[in-house]
Amino acid sequence: MPLALRFAARELRAGVRGFRVFLACLALGVAAIAAAGSTAEAFRMGLASQAGEILGGDVAITLREREFTVAERAALARIGRVSYAASAEAMAQSPSGERRLVEIRGVDGSYPLAGRVELSGAARLADALKPDGEAAGAAVEQALFDKLHLKIGTRFRVGNVPVVARAVLVSEPDRLSRGFSLGPRVLTRAEVVERGGFLVPGLPFGETARIALKPGASLVPAERALRGAMKAAGPTGYRLHDRTDATPGLSRLIDELEYFLGFIGLASLVAGGLGVFGAVSAFVESKTTSIAILKAVGARGDLPRDVYLIQIGLLAALGVSIGLIVGAATPLVLGELIKSISPVPALFAIYPWPLARAGAFGLLAAAAFGLAPLGRARSTPPSALFRGDVSRRPKFGVEVAFAVICGAGLAGLAVVTAPTPVAASVMIAGVAVAFGLLWAIGWGLAGAAGVWRGRLRGPLRIGVANLAGSRSAARTAAPAIGIGVALLAAIVLIQSSLLAQVAKVAPATAPSMVFTGIPADQAARFDAALARAFGHSLKSGDYLRAPFATGRIAGARGAAIDIAKIAPPDRWAYDNDISISAIGPEPKGATIEAGRWWPANYAGPPLVALSVDAAKGARLKVGETISLELLGRTIDARVAVIRKIDFAGFGANFPVVLDPAAIEGAGLDEVAEARATPAEEARATRALGVEFPTVNVISVREALETAAGIFDKLALAVRAAAAVAAVAGLLVLVGAIATGARTRAREAATLKVLGASSGQILAAYAVEYGAVGLIAGVAGVALGYAAAWPVVVQVFKATWSVDWAGVATLVLGAAGLAGAGGLAAALSALAKRPAETLRGE
Amino acid sequence: MFDASAPAAPLRLTDVSLTLPSAAGPVEILRGVDFVVAPGERVAVVGPSGCGKSSLIAVAAGLERPTRGAVILFGEDLGPLGEDRRALLRRGRVSLVFQSFHLLPNMTAAENISAPLEIAGDPDAADKARAWLDRVGLTARARHYPRQMSGGEQQRIALARALAAGPKLLFADEPTGNLDAANAQAVAAMMFDLVAETGAALVLVTHDTALAARADRIARMYDGAMVADA
Repeated sequence: MPLALRFAARELRAGVRGFRVFLACLALGVAAIAAAGSTAEAFRMGLASQAGEILGGDVAITLREREFTVAERAALARIGRVSYAASAEAMAQSPSGERRLVEIRGVDGSYPLAGRVELSGAARLADALKPDGEAAGAAVEQALFDKLHLKIGTRFRVGNVPVVARAVLVSEPDRLSRGFSLGPRVLTRAEVVERGGFLVPGLPFGETARIALKPGASLVPAERALRGAMKAAGPTGYRLHDRTDATPGLSRLIDELEYFLGFIGLASLVAGGLGVFGAVSAFVESKTTSIAILKAVGARGDLPRDVYLIQIGLLAALGVSIGLIVGAATPLVLGELIKSISPVPALFAIYPWPLARAGAFGLLAAAAFGLAPLGRARSTPPSALFRGDVSRRPKFGVEVAFAVICGAGLAGLAVVTAPTPVAASVMIAGVAVAFGLLWAIGWGLAGAAGVWRGRLRGPLRIGVANLAGSRSAARTAAPAIGIGVALLAAIVLIQSSLLAQVAKVAPATAPSMVFTGIPADQAARFDAALARAFGHSLKSGDYLRAPFATGRIAGARGAAIDIAKIAPPDRWAYDNDISISAIGPEPKGATIEAGRWWPANYAGPPLVALSVDAAKGARLKVGETISLELLGRTIDARVAVIRKIDFAGFGANFPVVLDPAAIEGAGLDEVAEARATPAEEARATRALGVEFPTVNVISVREALETAAGIFDKLALAVRAAAAVAAVAGLLVLVGAIATGARTRAREAATLKVLGASSGQILAAYAVEYGAVGLIAGVAGVALGYAAAWPVVVQVFKATWSVDWAGVATLVLGAAGLAGAGGLAAALSALAKRPAETLRGE
Repeated sequence: MFDASAPAAPLRLTDVSLTLPSAAGPVEILRGVDFVVAPGERVAVVGPSGCGKSSLIAVAAGLERPTRGAVILFGEDLGPLGEDRRALLRRGRVSLVFQSFHLLPNMTAAENISAPLEIAGDPDAADKARAWLDRVGLTARARHYPRQMSGGEQQRIALARALAAGPKLLFADEPTGNLDAANAQAVAAMMFDLVAETGAALVLVTHDTALAARADRIARMYDGAMVADA
């Protein structure tokens, strides 16, 4: 057995006392990363295992605002078994006149091709969809039963179609692949939707064909054949997904949440790294005599270094293993708890890759923070046997070089495994800068304490002198606590701003109601009906109506759009149908950035006003041309205006606005938005059901309340995860207190001998640690503020709103917890009898 | 009488000074010390506390680098040698015994004795350690840790550790300073007997005049300087 290993084994017989904080710091961060990774993997595997059911077949093609042609249907039928479903938004109305926007979905007899529709109140889907006289049978989501006070068997109307609620729609196998819905779902037969007039060209409906391929057929040739079948629709005229890509949005969300939670775990590892640094430093310091003896009897410097490197390595492996066990077990427990409530399928199991990645993070963090102090085992001179004033600072050497390499490896691994490396680089650089700043603040505090100590008296002086000393908690615990507080502060501030946006700013600035599908020829009559329902005339500042359609920007500057050349965040305006309107006179609050609005009676070649965000993707400027695909035709328009719009605000917030002459004769339906009190909203919703049953009424207020609720739950989970980083900071504080416990006991004993009261000693320690917590709290909140502000204002474009109560809680909490730690240290020191302590020296 | 000027002298210090930094400014520990030890010679270094006796050992054994002057150990100038080279030079030739014993706390008595032998790559380290345990009368303590032994026993283990590798030069810094009279006498007797048996030279720092009197030569230090060497 090699000598270093032999000596290390002998040393390890003495146990691993003093390494609890070391183990906890590593285990905590690794557990957080492993748990985030394993949970995300469980959801990914769950989605992959049910991809066929989620998509509703092997391949799905969706059309917007038109149905499949006979030729297309014939072509699709040659590829496999096909099931068609069409959906549209419409107003449901109860017998008592209550109304609610719903998503009505009509399916054919072969639905579902994969999976099963879960119902309550009917045994089979066919039973639920069986008509009752004139009324179409339907399975209805519970939310609509509640909202319209329906019962099984109740007749109600969707648009102009009479429907009977035969069953509660518990779940559809393909729900996850269909995304967000503005209202509860009503599932019925395809011909009901067709007959109800929901599938008229120009209305916002969609039809999807789900195809189960013939046995043995593979995806690639099938998709090639499908694209051939859909050739006439053009490459952007349909959306095609297969079972390998059933839920792209959800998968992206899982990736991003995993990374964000994993990033918090990584930040905990960085904060806990100071605990690792402190524990290894204290360990090597306690071994100074042994190291010097080994050298005195002829050992080279690398022998004691290797002896302790082996021990620390084994302990790091133990800490990482504990973290991996906890991290692997957490999703299994979580899985049991959420099994019945999670809408997303998950296969909770032990997945090696997320655990390997978390383990690698843990070992790299242990090396990055533990190697530098281990270097002192090599550099401690044998003369330490004679002198006690040997420097405790790590000296530059091969160990520090490796520590730097491992630190870079840690950052590199975090970037490489991130879904968006650029964002990850910014986040990691932010943590590195914050850590450096907090470290400098800690050292600055210790330096300032050295200056102030001479000006103070009594317990304050003792506390401040300790703060200035070589074992000052200001240098270790302050940066660690600060990182934890900074993360929590950033999340609290982002959350409070976004919640305020949803709960206060948006209701004050956004319309409370939106009306879609207003026939153009009945617009004036609609205005009159709405004014009657509101009980007052409609004012321009509180009501706006404009033509509306959805379409696509298919080309720019005479060439087709190449989506690959557009940055992913800017693609939304080019790979999606977007809102398009046509407005004559310059709307109020048009916020034009470049160009001039056309005259109200303009009748020349088509002109368009683009929002800044829509123009950004293709770098469009005033004077350049775009090609718009709208209502089955292509309109080439020149960009006349580039303007800012606020999607969340009240006003003509369409990313694309044409001059009215450009769509003359198209007879676009109109949309309207209005500010209204809850009472006006209720009256209008009910009254329009009589005069305009086909006009959809969307309650923005209700949507905002729902969004606020979902956001609050998500934020709670994220905040809980961020608390892990704060715990890591507190662990470092505990480590710092534990390391100095013996010195504290000696100091307290000496002070008692000199006549100090217990109160004075307690006050001294509370001052010392309270100051550490306070400075860490203030610095952490400041850094959290700096991190949160650009996210809120630049990324979310929301109004900055500071949760002062949350901020105060964080600062006072950090100071209070640290001060309490100091008091605990003092009480522990005071509990020892002075004579016993001093005799032990 | 030994011929201290003979070229085979295991230790020669010429005009050695040691100044160490401190918070209150540099402190002169050794000042222009000349000191030579001949093969097999037993030299006692005496002087008041703080006069630099222990620092003389630290510098002479290559544990501390002098600020000025030359230290020649077994014919090799320590000046240009790095720490690892000095450790190699000591290996098997130079040993130390301390007032505070300085045993490795997590190693047993036998392991403490075998440690320097193992470091030197001696394949018979364990056997030799057992033999030395027997010579110092502590065979029964072989598997005991330092904390489980008395001060006298610890110092006997330290002595065995120092002599097990067969050094040519033994430095002993107040080896009886932490022991009661009976143990001090026993350890001193053992040390002188074993040094005589192995033929090693001995540099003994002590306050104990009776112990110093057993040396071949007594060197006196005062305020960092060698004031008498006879």
